Amino acid sequence: MDFDFPEDIVIARQKASDFAKKEITSADAQAYDKQEEFPDDLRKKAFELGIVDYTNPWSMLVTIEELCRADAGLGIAATVSLFGAEVIMLFGSDEQKQKYLGSVQTGEKIMGLAVTESGGGSDVAGIKTTAKREGNKFIVNGSKMFITNGSIADFFVMLVRTSSPDGKRHHGLSTIVVEGNLPGFSRNKLSGKLGVRATNTAELILSNVEVPAGNLIGEEGKGFYYIMTFFNISRAYVAAQAIGIAQGALDRILSHLGNLAKSGRSEEITEEIQFLVADIATRVEASRLLTYKAASFLFQFKPNPTLTSMAKAYASETAVFATEKALEITGVSGITGDLERFFRDAKIMEIWEGTSEIEKLIISRNLLKETSEGN
Amino acid sequence: MSSEEQDILKSAVQEFAQKSLLNNLLKVERDGIDDSIVRALATQGFLGSRIPEKYGGSGIDQSGYLVVLEELATFSPSISALVMLTSSVFAGLVGDMDPEAVRRVASGEAMASVAFDSILEGNTTAEGLKESGKSLIGERKHILNANADYLISEAEGSGSLYLIKGGIEVQEEDQVLSFRGIKLGTAGVNCSTCVKLADDGKERLAEVMDSLDLEISAIALGISRGALQKVIEYTKVRKTFDKPLKDYGPVASTISRLMSEQRVLEMALHNQEIDEAKEKLMIKILAVDLAKRASKYALQFHGGYGYIEDFGVEKYYRDAMGLSILLQRSRSDNQRLAKEIFGEKSGYL
Ligand SMILES: Cc1cc2nc3c(=O)[nH]c(=O)nc-3n(C[C@H](O)[C@H](O)[C@H](O)COP(=O)(O)OP(=O)(O)OC[C@H]3O[C@@H](n4cnc5c(N)ncnc54)[C@H](O)[C@@H]3O)c2cc1C
Repeated sequence: MDFDFPEDIVIARQKASDFAKKEITSADAQAYDKQEEFPDDLRKKAFELGIVDYTNPWSMLVTIEELCRADAGLGIAATVSLFGAEVIMLFGSDEQKQKYLGSVQTGEKIMGLAVTESGGGSDVAGIKTTAKREGNKFIVNGSKMFITNGSIADFFVMLVRTSSPDGKRHHGLSTIVVEGNLPGFSRNKLSGKLGVRATNTAELILSNVEVPAGNLIGEEGKGFYYIMTFFNISRAYVAAQAIGIAQGALDRILSHLGNLAKSGRSEEITEEIQFLVADIATRVEASRLLTYKAASFLFQFKPNPTLTSMAKAYASETAVFATEKALEITGVSGITGDLERFFRDAKIMEIWEGTSEIEKLIISRNLLKETSEGN
Repeated sequence: MSSEEQDILKSAVQEFAQKSLLNNLLKVERDGIDDSIVRALATQGFLGSRIPEKYGGSGIDQSGYLVVLEELATFSPSISALVMLTSSVFAGLVGDMDPEAVRRVASGEAMASVAFDSILEGNTTAEGLKESGKSLIGERKHILNANADYLISEAEGSGSLYLIKGGIEVQEEDQVLSFRGIKLGTAGVNCSTCVKLADDGKERLAEVMDSLDLEISAIALGISRGALQKVIEYTKVRKTFDKPLKDYGPVASTISRLMSEQRVLEMALHNQEIDEAKEKLMIKILAVDLAKRASKYALQFHGGYGYIEDFGVEKYYRDAMGLSILLQRSRSDNQRLAKEIFGEKSGYL
């Protein structure tokens, strides 16, 4: 077993790290956070320089880590413009791939994935937005809540109900591509988020929106399955975001403690602090190992949802733990610097793309199922 | 104050908060506590609740004061912190040395601010203000409630503690995490009317802050109760998979256990027989820890809504963390506690 990454991934990490050091300064991060503004120039630059390139999933994974290590709001905003693309890539027609994926892969266009509704996000099968087929189009009615890139995306992969459930709630759901400029489609930017404030989040409202029937992705009624498959991929990237945040917090703790030592205040680095540093570093390393293992299965097309959920839940809890402890260790200097933002940003990791509670349910249910199947 | 009187006071604070604060809570977080709220707090006697009547305060006893702080914090930790800053920190430091200043802040006529970062974790020196004859000049960072008429700060170098009366100009906000209603900021100072409050500022500030264990506990317990009340209401009505969240074991048992800790700590806080320093400190350490955990779970169980300011939950998460950094000296508290437990200096390595 070799724990070293191949050279091209090491280079990708270095490139992302250099980019982050140059383009994601504390001052920028603070300003975008304060103004809740989407950093479109940064995003475009990241594409132009080949920093964002989802054709190589491993290099994307380490790139996300490095960018979020500098700042999660900017790091996520720069890398999330293809959110949902895998649904089209895996299940869409050639025509859909050509029409929609080319322009998001070059960074020219932005997309989003719209699943959550005001009535619920964890309970994916409980969504209420409907798409009724009328001739060669769908008539879409309903609303979506908390959608990343919601007010800036050119189009969305949207989960809709195309027929009533036949006794099973997750039946009758489909995924369709909905373009953002259609009549009857309005979006309200949500402001006042606790963190990741440079990312764009919106509520989408659809009132008799006409979508061509050709925008149905894959088969009608298979939407739930497609979205679950997607989450198994995206959760590995969320784990990478969380690792980046936790590592970024650890970097800043170590730099703070280094400064204390340099200024003759080593006695302030008590054993309690040393134990916390050890705990954080261990958890970051464990999160990496879990995430890379989950990603290794995933990127070889044999996904292991149990491992992916473990990685996502554990890395997210690590990000929250690391940022909390980082503030406690650094005190006033932390709360008046980058770390307070890291603390606010970290909490979203335990919520989006499957809350920690939902990940734990997935892990246990899979394990119990495997046991009952005699594996 | 008897427990019946405490109950009456509690209802009065709640009624006031429902009427005068509830619709302004989001505005407090976004724009700060405005003059009308300060005036209303003063008119009710809450702003100067612990300030003696001879200085224009309400002069209520500590048990009543804790009720005021806790109840206000369930609505707005920032407002509760403002009351403590005015009634205990400012008035405690100034007292007889400038009764008129104390009277003005108790009445809401003037606002008080204090910079005590030199005694907090992650900082050791008070920088920025230089003594020049009878004046203090310079730029001071880390002022709690920076947009004020009075400022208490140490001078750089001598470390003497001064009451700065005027010539204070707010420049920027130093942090955005916590207590957004009162803010921690930087101000330019050019003041020729200063009153020296103590030669050793650090010692005096530490003395006052360390005497506020129960007050800080009250704010912490207000934060946790505010967060828990919200999450109990929410999990009763929010459904996932056709069941209310409260029906799920991990949700219900987590909240129930946190409520148990809340109740036990509230009983301890309002037990007037507690007068040992050690016990007060124990309550504070546990209450601040509870505030952090309760607010975190309250946010988590609100899902995406917990992450958006409109639901009024995320502020508890931010303020609980801020409380432990900006109003508490946690490492020094742990060492104080260890000394109490072991009878001699302990736990410092
Ligand atoms: C900034 C932001 C960006 C987002 N971006 C997107 C996006 O691009 N696309 C999209 O579709 N969604 C997006 N979301 C939504 C996000 O995925 C949901 O918020 C999340 O899935 C949780 O759903 P909910 O908010 O409805 O919470 P709920 O499902 O109502 O859950 C509330 C709480 O109950 C817990 N809970 C629920 N069921 C159980 C159970 N059975 N047992 C124990 N606990 C349970 C949950 O873990 C959670 O703590 C975003 C959210 C935010 C805040």
